Amino acid sequence: MLAYRDGDARAFEALYGRHRARLFRFVLRSVKERGVAEELFQDVWMRVIEARGRYAPKARFTTWLYSIAHNRLIDHWRRKGLSVVDLENVDVEGSSPNPESQAEARQSLQRFAKALEALPPVQREAFLLHEEAGMSVAEIAQATGAGEEAAKSRLRYAVAKLKAAVDDG
Amino acid sequence: MADERDPKVSQRYRELGTEEPPRHVDEAMLAASRRAVHVHPAPLVPPTGRRRWYFPVAAAAIIMLSVAVTWHMQLERPDPDGYLASAPAPEASRAAPPEQKIEMQAAPQAAPPVAASRMEERAREPTTEPPEKWLERIAELRKEGRHEQADKALEAFRRAYPGYKLPESVLKK
Repeated sequence: MLAYRDGDARAFEALYGRHRARLFRFVLRSVKERGVAEELFQDVWMRVIEARGRYAPKARFTTWLYSIAHNRLIDHWRRKGLSVVDLENVDVEGSSPNPESQAEARQSLQRFAKALEALPPVQREAFLLHEEAGMSVAEIAQATGAGEEAAKSRLRYAVAKLKAAVDDG
Repeated sequence: MADERDPKVSQRYRELGTEEPPRHVDEAMLAASRRAVHVHPAPLVPPTGRRRWYFPVAAAAIIMLSVAVTWHMQLERPDPDGYLASAPAPEASRAAPPEQKIEMQAAPQAAPPVAASRMEERAREPTTEPPEKWLERIAELRKEGRHEQADKALEAFRRAYPGYKLPESVLKK
């Protein structure tokens, strides 16, 4: 980001390439509609671009990037309800050609998605930051503006609920 | 973090899919990032250190170049006769094969009327008048059907004013 701030356009390409997919999934699973997710995703990157002149490394770039995404999502959540992307078009990967097994796997995955959707927003966000951005509890706390204890608690509850959904399936 | 991690949960989460942003979004973002880099805001502080000498040196170079060009232009005022005398020979007579040259020499050459010849010469004078007048004379040649002379004059005009937008009256035959 420092190189991009200093005028190196290729540095942005590298950053974007490294974070685009994970950030997109983080946003996509935080909102329901794909179109909205694309809009928010672009908005986050535009804020990164606009802030390049003021960028000063106080944390990892990843933490900074997801804190921008967090703030953007907060704005969105205030206006809309909370939900994750539906699973209508999710392909269930499996080696079994058996239609019954595939249907079971699909149902299991849908249960997991429902459980993810049912999480309180702060817990779901903590989980997505952990899974998609690979953040530690301290980094989740920093990106979301929460205390470390709160971040740790949110993540622990989220994982426990999702684990129950996995075991149930 | 080890106490929060659960491999089964992570595995199931991965099975949800690996969606990526669409290509048009990628392209839009990269284009926006490049635009932002190419718009250089003016520096808020004056240049310091090694860059400090760039500006006075550049300014001095520009001034010296301006003086030299002005002086050179005063020494070498354009001479219309000289221009015509130094005009390159037509390509046809230079590149034509020997047989064709003989034919060209043997062909009777009609002497142009004096007034028309003067007009043609004036139309080919590039530096003694503004381009608008010059183009008017080329247009007159076109009106009179003297397209060969008009073409030559137009060629000279283009050399003198490359990129000048030409009116239809000097182009059409």
